[in-house]
Amino acid sequence: MNTNVCYTSRLYLALAWCWLWLLFSACEREVEGLESPAYPSNPEVFIDGFSPGLNYAAFGGSVLTAFDVDREVTYNGSAASMRFEVPDVNDPRGAYAGGTYYTTVGRDLSGYNALTFWARASQPANIDVVGFGNDLGESRHQVTISGLPVNTNWKKYIIPIPDPSKLKAERGMFFYSEGPENEKGYTFWIDEVKFEKLGTLAHPRYLILNGQDQTETSFIGITKTIGGLKSVFNLPVGVDQEVTVAPAYFDFSSSDPSIATVDESGRVTVRGGPGTARITARVGGAVATGSLTIQSAGNFQAAPRPTRPVANVISVFSDVYPNVPVDYYNGYWAPYQTTQSADFTVDGDNVLHYTNFNFVGIQFTSPTINASSMTHLHVDVFIPNTLPANARFKIEMVHFGTPNITGAFTTIITAVQSRQWVSLDIPLVSFAGLSNRSNLAQIIFVDDSNNIDSFYADNIYLYNAGTPPSAPTTPAPTPTHPAANVISVFSDAYTNIAGTNLNPNWGQATVVTQVSIQGNNTLRYGGLNYQGIQLGSNQNVSGMQFLHLDFWSATSTSLKVFLISPGPLETPFILTVPTNGWSSVNIPLSAFVPPVNLSNVFQLKFEGNGDIFLDNIYFFRN
Amino acid sequence: MNAKMCALALLLTLIGCKADDFQKLEPRNWQLTWSDEFNGAAGALPDPDKWTFDLGTGNGGWGNQELQSYTNSPDNVSMDGQGNLVITARRAGNAFTSARIKTQGLFEQKYGRFEARLKTPYGPGLWPAFWLLGANISSVGWPQCGEIDIMELRGQEPHIVHGSLHGPGYSAGNAITKKYALLNGRFDADYHVYAVEWDANKIDFFVDDFLYQRVERSKVPGEWVYDAPFFLIFNVAVGGTFVGFPTAQTPFPQRMIIDYVRVYQEAK
Repeated sequence: MNTNVCYTSRLYLALAWCWLWLLFSACEREVEGLESPAYPSNPEVFIDGFSPGLNYAAFGGSVLTAFDVDREVTYNGSAASMRFEVPDVNDPRGAYAGGTYYTTVGRDLSGYNALTFWARASQPANIDVVGFGNDLGESRHQVTISGLPVNTNWKKYIIPIPDPSKLKAERGMFFYSEGPENEKGYTFWIDEVKFEKLGTLAHPRYLILNGQDQTETSFIGITKTIGGLKSVFNLPVGVDQEVTVAPAYFDFSSSDPSIATVDESGRVTVRGGPGTARITARVGGAVATGSLTIQSAGNFQAAPRPTRPVANVISVFSDVYPNVPVDYYNGYWAPYQTTQSADFTVDGDNVLHYTNFNFVGIQFTSPTINASSMTHLHVDVFIPNTLPANARFKIEMVHFGTPNITGAFTTIITAVQSRQWVSLDIPLVSFAGLSNRSNLAQIIFVDDSNNIDSFYADNIYLYNAGTPPSAPTTPAPTPTHPAANVISVFSDAYTNIAGTNLNPNWGQATVVTQVSIQGNNTLRYGGLNYQGIQLGSNQNVSGMQFLHLDFWSATSTSLKVFLISPGPLETPFILTVPTNGWSSVNIPLSAFVPPVNLSNVFQLKFEGNGDIFLDNIYFFRN
Repeated sequence: MNAKMCALALLLTLIGCKADDFQKLEPRNWQLTWSDEFNGAAGALPDPDKWTFDLGTGNGGWGNQELQSYTNSPDNVSMDGQGNLVITARRAGNAFTSARIKTQGLFEQKYGRFEARLKTPYGPGLWPAFWLLGANISSVGWPQCGEIDIMELRGQEPHIVHGSLHGPGYSAGNAITKKYALLNGRFDADYHVYAVEWDANKIDFFVDDFLYQRVERSKVPGEWVYDAPFFLIFNVAVGGTFVGFPTAQTPFPQRMIIDYVRVYQEAK
């Protein structure tokens, strides 16, 4: 420390007193007769000791002895400072240093505009939280700076008061919370803690939703709390200081309370609709940057009611089934998770609502779930805002073991599927990497495309869909088209093209058989990769309109059919699999043109996977 | 410096109560010779009959390693439609644009009172200025032409302004200069009036009509080069030897908001 600095500073102090004295003695004689204030306006918190009425309480879980008065290391050689000993990781006395300095009787701080103090540390560090307004109760006027940088030099810090007029009876004078830096403890000192009226703070700004203008689709009965409450002041050195501010500094208002109301804590409730309401806020006379526009769609539309038998279900979140014990539906996993919860209940229907979504985990460890006998995960998802593009919604399931095993499945939710319920039924075998599901403990949702701002979730359960049948139990429907209008490839109902080879050797792996189902001859492709049909003679089907197929598969996830002219000229048509019983399809022949020459067709081909049953393959016209 | 600051503080304290007892200056009969009230429409450029531009990056950042490139775009210099001219310094990545306007070739005057009412920008690395240059600069060069800095400010010290003279033998780091500080306020938070009163014998520097520096002809540590016409300049520089670099924390854009500029000549 430089003695010259010391001297100067004292001179300033003396000067300040001189100035005050002059003001009172020379200029401000007419102050007599003012009412004495209801609360003391003492600006001093800790100068060289506790100011009158000041108490200290350590936060729960902190090292209770972390704070002490230090008479060795002090700012400016003064008599005493506040010393804080941050513990190492795993210190048995507590995980962090934290506590608040409060008064029993409130103080009138409305004449000041900042809390200031000097600080230094035994090493460069960022103090997690410092601020004022923590009174161990409602802390209505709490203001915090996060990540305050300190180093080994004494430096003055300023915490601006967003709106001093609110602090007529404030009890929270100063508080702090700091954990280990890189798992190591250290020491920092704070001194000369006091409220001041600084003329050197300028350009105040206030923000809600971090200054963003957000638009959100919502429904009657849904609530959301406006976050991102900040204020920014320019410090005497010309740089901005952002502080996080409690809602009580803001006056919120709604452009249409019949659509949405907002209370003094910033909690928005949708009251009516369809319609639009814009939520804004002011601090003092200043308009805060940022807004929330609620587009109410009216009455809430509930997710489809589950119908699976309860005996086949293990439910994590549903109003239809008994749910297993759940540790949490939002783990708030620090430090990277941004997802907040705004769960709501409409007409007894509980719905999970994840906002500011990046990822979120649900955990159930008491007990974990043995899903070995389950086949599927069901989740109903509703994205209330219009999607700007298709979204990749990723679901992970975690089996707790040594090590943990995580399986992931990503599904596309298309842009047109936003603003409606999307029911996901995902085979557990589709969770890539989930080699064991006997000890499931977590389900994690991830915004893999980074464009899902928020979503509702309901009916999260595992179920057993029953063993799928390996073959149809009934034959395909009997065709009804007049034979005169048909050219048949494979059917018991018509005369088929003579000489057709149902299993030409094109190097395929598919096992082709014909099976009789209740006396009906049916073509079976076992373990399809691809499979051709060589017609007995080249066919002119240009007078026909459709290719008819009946197909059945419980196991296939991909199936395409090709019509082929010599060349070969071919193009696929995609068939939807797996099927629910027999599927019948009439494919317009125009779907194959171009490139296929309908006047000269000589082959068909199937590509895909799984076991497929086919019947009634024919061309027809109406 | 500390002692000076304290003395200044005491003086301010006194005038806060009894201004009349302090600074008895001789009354002058100032007659307006030239002014711009900046009453143009929003987005309009400065009046071309009164102002021209310095453009680009000059020679070596205008001799001071300044970072900005000066433009004549309304994004950097235009009326606000509310009676002010605004010079805006903008950041685009590591590049900065701003503006510098001058009356060179359009209006020049020897002696008189030169004043402007303005709010400064702020933030580390911002360097706003209201200043005069000798009109003979193109023939005799700098600093022989003389320079009168009516207001300069470092954005990281928004409570301090500087008034300076640069001439032969006393330029750049050796200029005649003095600071004027607000004890509990800032020059970017409100309008202030910055002025010099200049005659054959002295140059007086004022903030809000408070005389904080008088430079007498006989006290100049070199040649007195202030008996010739000078022209006016406003600019907002970013970075440079006087102010240092902007930091990641410097808020942008930054604006110098000029309510008016007026020039007077004393009527004898």
